[in-house]
Amino acid sequence: MSVSVTATRRTSGAATALSIVALTEIGSAAFLRQFLLAEDWRVVVGLLGFFAIVLVALQRLPTVEARIEGAFSAQGRFATLLGIAIVLLFPFLLEKSTYALHLLIIAQLYAVLALALNFQLGSANIPNFATGASYGIGAYASALLALNWDVSFWLALPAAAVVATIFGFVLGVPSMRTRDSYLALVTIAFGVVVHQLLNNLEFTGGPNGLVGIPAPELFGHSFASPLVIFGHSLPSQANFYYLSAALVGVSILFAARLHHSRIGLAWNALRADELAARCQGINATWYKVLAFVVDAFLAGFAGTIYAFYVGFISPDNFTFLVSVTIMTMVIAGGMDNTLGVIVGAFLLTMLPEKLRAFSDYRILFFGVTVIAFLMIRPQGIFPQRLRRYGG
Amino acid sequence: MTEQLVQQLLNWITLGSIYALVAVGFSLLFGVLNIIHFSHGDVSLLAPFLALAAVQTVSASLGGSPAVAAIVLAVLFAVIVTGLLGVVLYYLVIKRFQNAPAMMALVATVALGIVLRELIRHLYPQGSNPHAVPRLVPGSIEVLGVTIPAFNLVAILVSVLSVGLLFYMLERTRLGLHIKAVSQDRDAARLISISPARIFQITFFIASAIGAIGGLFFAGYAGIVRFDFSVDVGLIGFSAAVVGGLGSMPGAIIGSLLIAGLDTLVQATVPNGASYRLVFVFLLVICVLVFRPAGLLGRTIVEKV
Repeated sequence: MSVSVTATRRTSGAATALSIVALTEIGSAAFLRQFLLAEDWRVVVGLLGFFAIVLVALQRLPTVEARIEGAFSAQGRFATLLGIAIVLLFPFLLEKSTYALHLLIIAQLYAVLALALNFQLGSANIPNFATGASYGIGAYASALLALNWDVSFWLALPAAAVVATIFGFVLGVPSMRTRDSYLALVTIAFGVVVHQLLNNLEFTGGPNGLVGIPAPELFGHSFASPLVIFGHSLPSQANFYYLSAALVGVSILFAARLHHSRIGLAWNALRADELAARCQGINATWYKVLAFVVDAFLAGFAGTIYAFYVGFISPDNFTFLVSVTIMTMVIAGGMDNTLGVIVGAFLLTMLPEKLRAFSDYRILFFGVTVIAFLMIRPQGIFPQRLRRYGG
Repeated sequence: MTEQLVQQLLNWITLGSIYALVAVGFSLLFGVLNIIHFSHGDVSLLAPFLALAAVQTVSASLGGSPAVAAIVLAVLFAVIVTGLLGVVLYYLVIKRFQNAPAMMALVATVALGIVLRELIRHLYPQGSNPHAVPRLVPGSIEVLGVTIPAFNLVAILVSVLSVGLLFYMLERTRLGLHIKAVSQDRDAARLISISPARIFQITFFIASAIGAIGGLFFAGYAGIVRFDFSVDVGLIGFSAAVVGGLGSMPGAIIGSLLIAGLDTLVQATVPNGASYRLVFVFLLVICVLVFRPAGLLGRTIVEKV
């Protein structure tokens, strides 16, 4: 008797957990869709207000937040599968809006960059103002390979990542000795040097950049042509949408595996107290350099996809300001929180685009938002979580 | 040949003193508040815009070309207003990040710099376009057969004077003593009835005003000013302060001279040097920091358990 009662309770608990997960994911996707397709700035502001209210409500009602979190960890597999299904179906819900797809692609690339920086800034608290430079190195390396030697996208992708990684390693070397503000300056200096070289060297095309990067091909399907699935024709951007979504997926997996490995623990230990970590036998130098290398590796991937997607790159796409923007995404989203970092990247990519109504004042608005955000919610949208062990 | 050499040396010292005026502010603010005020360069370059606006208003009301008195007044006005603006920004923004992690303050002040630049662009008439800045001091002097623009001499002289005054103030006056006390230990300073809040205000005023002088000379030296010039000025000023060792005033000056020296050398010797100058300058910054991680005169932090 009592056994069956607990069994029904368990199934009903599982059912509520399933519905909570489904509601949260579908609700978020619907919100994102409305936000992407909103034309009127009043609707945009209204949706942003709604988002803020939800965040405040979650902060005020920790039990609700804990409930949702519990449901997700109880039904992790279902949550992942549903998430993948939503990501795959999403382009069909956008009424063939190429602009919405374009925004999504850029937001996903920034999400990858922010996740890359999160290994350093979030996990290990190492400042790095050169993610934009690694992004640029990846983009230029792959574009040069494609333009000069007809290397295909699929080969250029890993090659560019390796090139970016080598530069990341070189940048990591000074980090063995310098720290905090001094290290921040080293990375800023590196970013400026890379930008200036791209801007002045002959073979990078100078300020005009590189033009005519060919679209990738897969099994004879060119990424520049519309994507047809089951008779549904999607704009050509959908190809890159799926490509960048795959990269985000890989990055999330990468981040999760690293976070739960000894490396992630070592980074967290360095963040908490470097001296104590050293005393515990953690090779601080090695782990710091590793953080730079991982950051550059992922940024190189994102850069390659960007170069092949837009087909045209110039040094102005990879300035110091880009690095600052990525840094802001990590801080605003929530350091060392994968979901937070992605939300931060999406929000900060789309916000300026959606506020076209104030087009002239966009950058000003961006700056004010960043400052206001850091003042009002310094811990980010989704704050750092404590590690949980067992259960 | 000698004339050219003297000319380049003069350029070096002029540029070095202009950078030093900005770098000293970075170092002073870091030393006292333990914060990197990344928008210091942007605050400094508000001064030329303020001075231009002031001169135009004065000459419009008087008619004809502005008199020397008007220019001097406009410059003074710009320096004082910039100093006050620094204090206002401290209260509006920077104060909130004083106890936050260092990176928060850095990112916040980078954003503040963006806001300041955009405000100039939108509020100043035709803010997106470059504005011609008249040489504050026209004419030149002949010394030993070499013509030296009076502007350079005045720039060097005023820089040495203002930095000297700052040193005197920090080392020999009661106020300087108070500033040092607050920079060493805020709470202990409060115990002996020094108000840290007041010291922070004063420090911000001094740093911003000195930066404003640097900004004015920079604009005068270039003969032109645009809203986004402050990016380079801020980066170079910050680099000079860090290369010298943050918090060390003599370090900031040495760093500025070093960077200005390389800058002039590259422009004079390397072909197409003007476009590569930042590459060389920032490679120097990286090299110095690799070998002296706390800057040239900075104290190495020894962590004790």
